[in-house]
Amino acid sequence: MRAYELIKETFCRKIYILIIHLSWLSLYGGFWWLFLPMGNEFGQFIFIWGGFFLALALSAGIFGDDISSGRICVLVTKPFWPGELYIYRLLGLSLQAAVHFILAWCVIFILHTFIRQGSMNGLVLWLFASWLLFNTCAALSTSLSVVVGRAYNALLLLIVIITGFVVVGTMMAYLKQHSETEALLVSYFRFVCPPFEMLYKFAGGEYGKYSLTVGRFSLAKSVACVVHSLILTVVYSIVGIVLLSRRQFSSRRD
Amino acid sequence: MRNKINLWTITTIAALVLEGWALYVVSLSPAHWRSSMIVKDEPAAHALYDKMIETMRQAESLSYQSVCSGPDDRDRASTYNILLKKPNYFHVEMSNVLSGYSTIVGDGDNLWFYWKGVRPFSAYEDKDSYEKTRANVYIKKATPIGRYSIRDQVNLLGTTWFGIILDPSIFHGHTDSLETYIDGIRSRGTDYAENEECEVIEVSFMKAQLTRYFWISKQDHLLWKIKEIVRLANNKVEVEEFSDISLNAVISQQKFSWSPPEGWQQWEKPGPDDFLLKPGTKAPDFELLSADGGKIKLSDYRGKIIWLYIWQCGSPSCREAMPHLQKLSEKYKDRGLVILGFNCADDKRIAKNFMRENSVTFPNILDSSHTAGKVIFDGYKNRSGTVPLSYIIDTRGNVVDAWSGYEEDNKRALAALKQAGIQPE
Repeated sequence: MRAYELIKETFCRKIYILIIHLSWLSLYGGFWWLFLPMGNEFGQFIFIWGGFFLALALSAGIFGDDISSGRICVLVTKPFWPGELYIYRLLGLSLQAAVHFILAWCVIFILHTFIRQGSMNGLVLWLFASWLLFNTCAALSTSLSVVVGRAYNALLLLIVIITGFVVVGTMMAYLKQHSETEALLVSYFRFVCPPFEMLYKFAGGEYGKYSLTVGRFSLAKSVACVVHSLILTVVYSIVGIVLLSRRQFSSRRD
Repeated sequence: MRNKINLWTITTIAALVLEGWALYVVSLSPAHWRSSMIVKDEPAAHALYDKMIETMRQAESLSYQSVCSGPDDRDRASTYNILLKKPNYFHVEMSNVLSGYSTIVGDGDNLWFYWKGVRPFSAYEDKDSYEKTRANVYIKKATPIGRYSIRDQVNLLGTTWFGIILDPSIFHGHTDSLETYIDGIRSRGTDYAENEECEVIEVSFMKAQLTRYFWISKQDHLLWKIKEIVRLANNKVEVEEFSDISLNAVISQQKFSWSPPEGWQQWEKPGPDDFLLKPGTKAPDFELLSADGGKIKLSDYRGKIIWLYIWQCGSPSCREAMPHLQKLSEKYKDRGLVILGFNCADDKRIAKNFMRENSVTFPNILDSSHTAGKVIFDGYKNRSGTVPLSYIIDTRGNVVDAWSGYEEDNKRALAALKQAGIQPE
């Protein structure tokens, strides 16, 4: 019952969450309607909007709002383990995203049936990759929300990731002649940061080029991608749980 | 409490092992997967492949439409409408966004290549000569039965993103140049292509440097789809899909004749050698990554005669030439010759394996960076990307001779080396 209430709260805590879901779904529909993309192009669109931006929008202030208002002191009283609060809230976000992506598929399916153009090939794989990316980004943003006040966690993560892409891109251009340093940096960003590149390749069938080429993708490499993405989500969550358990909260409003 | 700790320890260790495995699998290079792609020959699958070739060769006429594209890149696809008739007739209409519409007609003795409207500009010709020959031109070439390749003619023009994979000339008895490099053929079960039930076979060439998958109809052994994977520094995947296939149908003879309208002129497509640096020109200096992980600077070899040899594992000629080059390198190294290999196309591991297999000891640049590509394309003017390509550079760093291709007797190379100051035996 407590779990259900906490999960439900992630959806009901702000009215704008429902608006975000509806506007994101209409955005997918509008993009499909106007540009009639092929499976992969639409997949890339949904991957960024659903996997990354949706995670930021839904997790904005997920703990920061409660910490700033002092409500957190009511929530983390014994026998309530703070980790439980974190897990159920993240689970709430993840479930919302799962339903969101199923609805997204339905929207596209209806449009596809209605206008009889475009292609839905590979869309399910893109939606699955988007959900995995959503989980990773949501875990990172939720953990950040424990230490960053109000809803600034999402904004901070957005700025860090965009800056990161620009800086890494520039560094790579300079490091072309130093392949070993470049390889080290690439490995660091590939394996420690949210797995944008890895899941993008996984969903696009990139790994299929190297092994089971008759099928859509290589099983071993794809499973490895999913495993890495889930483990990264767990690692980000553990950091958040540790931070939440160790912080002293004040019941006074900021 | 102890049980709880044990559970956490086991879970953590399991997660670490799982993550270790995931990182290992994800970071494996394409070269690792390549070694597992070398196919062992299965007689039944090989027989199916032979049957497919035989079906094409036995037919009196064959027509089909082929669409060549990347796996998810239909926008840049090229469409080919192909008509073939015995003994030596063909008609190929080609269209794509890049080059518009072009036609090749084989009238039994010659092929005629012409364009509807303006012919496309290819990267390896100069603007002035293009302006003079952009419209009302045609190419004419002799087509001795079974000794020419329609695919090579189409692809050599270099004005498509995706060229033909299946050579239509097989119908006329031509043998694919890659045939001798087949590692093996195996079955990959059944699948549907355009609602046609097909047997899928996998053919690997040159130790899986290249793999092709053929979807062969169970009903009449005709081909419905090919997927090709070329494993270079960046893997290239291309798909050719067939439709409207018609075997032994009557095709009007009119389709196989064409004569140039009045005022049209014959055009000779510039060859790859036409753009190479001329003798006497200073060879551009460069500093790039070598096979042993260090760096090679061309000017460090000043005072030696250099044979700069640009190669690629996937080229049959390069594969043939490598052992001969190694022998020449050993023979002439005491007389001041340095053979310097240059590979900017292949994955480093693939290229290193290839060098090891051929016991290559002469220095080699293995660098697939953009800079290395620019050195070859802009510096050494290999605009067509032809391999093998040779430059003989004298002791002062000037070009003595440059040419593309490989000659077994190395006649041209030995003459250039003599000119540069090395006396061949």
